[in-house]
Amino acid sequence: MTDPVTPKTLPPHHLPPLKQIGKPLRRVDALGKAVGATQYAADFTMPGMLHAKVLRSPIASGKIVRLDVARARALSGVACVLTGADLPDAKLGTDMPGQSGRAARTGSDAPVLATDVVRFHGEPIALVAAETLEIAEAALQLIDLQLEPTPGVFCPEQGLMPGAPNVFGTDNAVASYKIRKGDVEKGMAQADLVIENTFFVPFVEHAYLEPEAGVAWVDEQGTITIRVCTQVIEHFRTVAKALGVPQNKVRVMGTMVGGGFGGKEDVTVEIFLALLARATRRPVKLVYTREESFLATSKRHPFKITHKTGVKRTGRITAAEITMLADSGAYPYLTPYVLLYATGMAAGPYKIDNVKIDSVAAATNQPFTSAFRGFGGPQAAFAYESQMDEVAKALLMDPLELRRVNYLKTGDTTVTGQAIRSAAWSEECATRALAALGEKTPDTPDRKVGRGFASYFQSYGRIMWFHDTSRAWVGMELDGTVIVRCGVPDIGAGQSNSLCQIAAEVLGVPLERVSIYSTDSALTPLAGTSTATRQLYMSGNAVLQAAGVVRASLVKKAAEMLGVSPEDVDLADGEASVVRSPGSGAARASSSPSGLGGGMPLADVAARCASSGLPLAHLAQFNAPFTEGLDPETGRGDIWPDFTFGAQAVEVAVDTETGEVEILKSAACHDVGRAINPAAARGQIAGGSHQGLGYALMEEYVVKDGMTQTPSLSEYLIPTAVDFPSTEAILLESGTGVGPFGAKGIGEPSLTPAAPAVANAIADALGVRIFSLPLTREKVLAAADAGKNVVKPDRHW
Amino acid sequence: MTLPKFDLLQPSTLGEALEILSTTQNAQPIAGGTALLVEMRGRKAEPGVLVDLGRLGDLHGVAPAANELVIGATTTIAELLKNPHVTERASILRDACSTFASPLVRNRATIGGNVAQGSPAGDMAPALLVLDASIELRSVRGKRLVRAVDFWKGPRKTTRKSDEMVVSIRIPLSQTPWLSSWKKLGLRKADAISVASAAVRLSLTADGKCEGARVAVGAVAPTPLRLAKSENALVGKPISREAIAQAAAAAAASSVPINDVRASVDYRRRVVEVLVRRALMEAAWEVLT
Repeated sequence: MTDPVTPKTLPPHHLPPLKQIGKPLRRVDALGKAVGATQYAADFTMPGMLHAKVLRSPIASGKIVRLDVARARALSGVACVLTGADLPDAKLGTDMPGQSGRAARTGSDAPVLATDVVRFHGEPIALVAAETLEIAEAALQLIDLQLEPTPGVFCPEQGLMPGAPNVFGTDNAVASYKIRKGDVEKGMAQADLVIENTFFVPFVEHAYLEPEAGVAWVDEQGTITIRVCTQVIEHFRTVAKALGVPQNKVRVMGTMVGGGFGGKEDVTVEIFLALLARATRRPVKLVYTREESFLATSKRHPFKITHKTGVKRTGRITAAEITMLADSGAYPYLTPYVLLYATGMAAGPYKIDNVKIDSVAAATNQPFTSAFRGFGGPQAAFAYESQMDEVAKALLMDPLELRRVNYLKTGDTTVTGQAIRSAAWSEECATRALAALGEKTPDTPDRKVGRGFASYFQSYGRIMWFHDTSRAWVGMELDGTVIVRCGVPDIGAGQSNSLCQIAAEVLGVPLERVSIYSTDSALTPLAGTSTATRQLYMSGNAVLQAAGVVRASLVKKAAEMLGVSPEDVDLADGEASVVRSPGSGAARASSSPSGLGGGMPLADVAARCASSGLPLAHLAQFNAPFTEGLDPETGRGDIWPDFTFGAQAVEVAVDTETGEVEILKSAACHDVGRAINPAAARGQIAGGSHQGLGYALMEEYVVKDGMTQTPSLSEYLIPTAVDFPSTEAILLESGTGVGPFGAKGIGEPSLTPAAPAVANAIADALGVRIFSLPLTREKVLAAADAGKNVVKPDRHW
Repeated sequence: MTLPKFDLLQPSTLGEALEILSTTQNAQPIAGGTALLVEMRGRKAEPGVLVDLGRLGDLHGVAPAANELVIGATTTIAELLKNPHVTERASILRDACSTFASPLVRNRATIGGNVAQGSPAGDMAPALLVLDASIELRSVRGKRLVRAVDFWKGPRKTTRKSDEMVVSIRIPLSQTPWLSSWKKLGLRKADAISVASAAVRLSLTADGKCEGARVAVGAVAPTPLRLAKSENALVGKPISREAIAQAAAAAAASSVPINDVRASVDYRRRVVEVLVRRALMEAAWEVLT
């Protein structure tokens, strides 16, 4: 028998030789951040600027019996106090046109300010703008708010029970999905063994470095302009709708974002700022404190997930029956979509012929939940990868071997019947990640060492019935430099840089010659959201198209100037030169002597294009494939454009007396399709892994009876730089993705496998599984106690 | 929230500072501010006057004398960490400093501040307890030395009167060598508040008899605790795994921890026993093996 963790040779594939793509070039945004020159949203000030504060509900569920702001309005230095009564129709539009598996439900939009009832601890009730922050805070104290507590819903099961207090709609059900594939009863009957387990994951806070912030003003044309850190500058439309103004009278100027992770995908400060700027006709600034950021913005969804898996002795899975219950919190926000993602990925990267999945999300009087890196995928993966190891254990089978029998391959279909069209290198990724762990660390008396891994698949690009589009403008200046204009919000993941590197590649210039203008809803072509691991895929393709049109002009003109046919012209290093192409007699020697490399400077070519009227700039639109939704009864249909596949493996040491878990080694292998900038791709994997390991071991936003128990970074712990070792990133490049140059997405996928890998490693160390995140010291200690007499199976890795 | 309104006074002599404390209502000394400013921002403390100790040079630094080490109250944790006298003569204090918060906080936070704040989880306290340290308080009324075991009175409560200031920590130096060990369990590796901590010091004869023992724990009672029962389990006997186990069990029995978002009563009581045992085993390791 061969060593099971020796990776196989990868299938042959041919990536074209590239000059700018695939190189770890210094990111265009790196220097400004390194020297502290980059301006973030809270850094901006304007003359005459007011400071805003938000009054928030101190309770989770209640009636507003009195809200009197007269004394606050009368305070010297207060410019404006707004309550829901001042803006009767202002709703925070949550777009759910039919994706919820039900018809769009009325009442799904959260009020901008609560008027009659409050539904969660921290719900906004009133806005204040004042000359100073201190006055604004003092004004909040002068608002007479009286609340009458009402019975609340504090877990989703309770919310779905008949007679539960009403939080949303008539039954608190925010969304639900059904997936039916094959015949699950028949599949279970064919099984030699049926294994059922239930898994739990908690609320999680994004905890980015930069709390939400913005400055808004009304410009000389009456346009409400909002400079804000956001993942979605298209929220100018949401703002316009809430304020009842035309969409072309609201402008969002994004800033460099100090971390988004989905938490800046929904509107945060924008509508508050717009309302106050409109009311006062003065610039207004609003910066959330860390504690307010915790209270005011979304969380990752808690889920309860049950897997019932039928399997043959050979390891072949014959049926999967999965139920999912998610906590939507007080308002729907993006819950219907997150639930869809979790449902569509619930069975993992496995080919299963008989599947039944039922999922539901229920409203509670708890923090509202919405997007968070992975968008339902990490919750699903914790459950399906924990379950795979439990199935392997029941079969006395190696966990890798079990997965090998069941991995989805190219051409196989997912639970909804969507065919996998790109490479599905799950096995290659898992074997490489495991092999990278090297020699196993021995146990010591109080420290048991275990290893685990998790495979995953995760979509990139938005749900296809959103009919997603992106636009980018690329132009060459007369000196041969390049400008990219694209509305992409850069949330720190290298979004702008990747686009520059693509333009540089297509136009044959060094990266230093490319500048980008981004994230302004009025001046840069709209590129859609920096969410859903979609910007490289969508905007990268838009830049590729736009740059291709400019390139065609340059090649045409250069061919004329060089006296060769266009096929013989290459653009590289800022020059046009003649290449010998098959069947052509032309040679490099015939090119212009004025160029550095024997080629003709692109500045000369650009000047000639300009004088002869050939376009040197182009605005391109890239459209994702469009579909029209799933069958509501069977869940059949295509959901996403494509998937990233990968795996992470970890070795842990468990202190059996204290429950402390130390990550000894961590390695992640992902097929990124094509690494546009390998340093940036590795950075994504390092960060995603660290965040995922935090999800595994410590992060939990604790809510008791609707009240936040972890109100600050003192109670809500995120990992520091010294908590975990660096995750070794192994990049595979199948070149089969739908992004530019065959790229897939890695932003969200890099987080997904970390938590189940750790859970599996702890189970390996102790012989006992923990079914809920986070894997706290107390839970691990209890598992260690339970595992004292468990005999562990031998493994090859 | 912004900071509440306060006046900042910056005396240039200790006398001036003590005068301010004796005559001003609701005045609070401030050094690094790593704890106080956070409390003020959360409105858990609202001193009307902050008395900045930054200009009082005589409160700062480590002075080795023949029989004691005098540590100025405004000496930072980072300074203690690299001070050769501390490393040589009070190594357990250095060990406690090495697990204190994070480098950024260590650069600002001071030993006097950590002592005076009176948190049951303060990381200086167990080390100072086992070092038999005293805390020197000064006021316009005079000075007094309070033994560390008598200093902490409850969560955020100490014997310090509002007109008094912690000016130094005095650590007596022993002629005989002591063995020591510090163990801290937090919920992560840096910037972690102790869930439980243990400091131990042992004086052992050449043949392994325990002549002196100090055992102290943090975060498992309303104050940092020195544990006489654990010490009694050790003193006068040959050091052994059994004696150590008894001392550790006594530590758990003496603990009266709380349930909070960080840990449960049961967990704290259980791990404090493990920490005390491990600390004692580590301190006595060469004799035991």
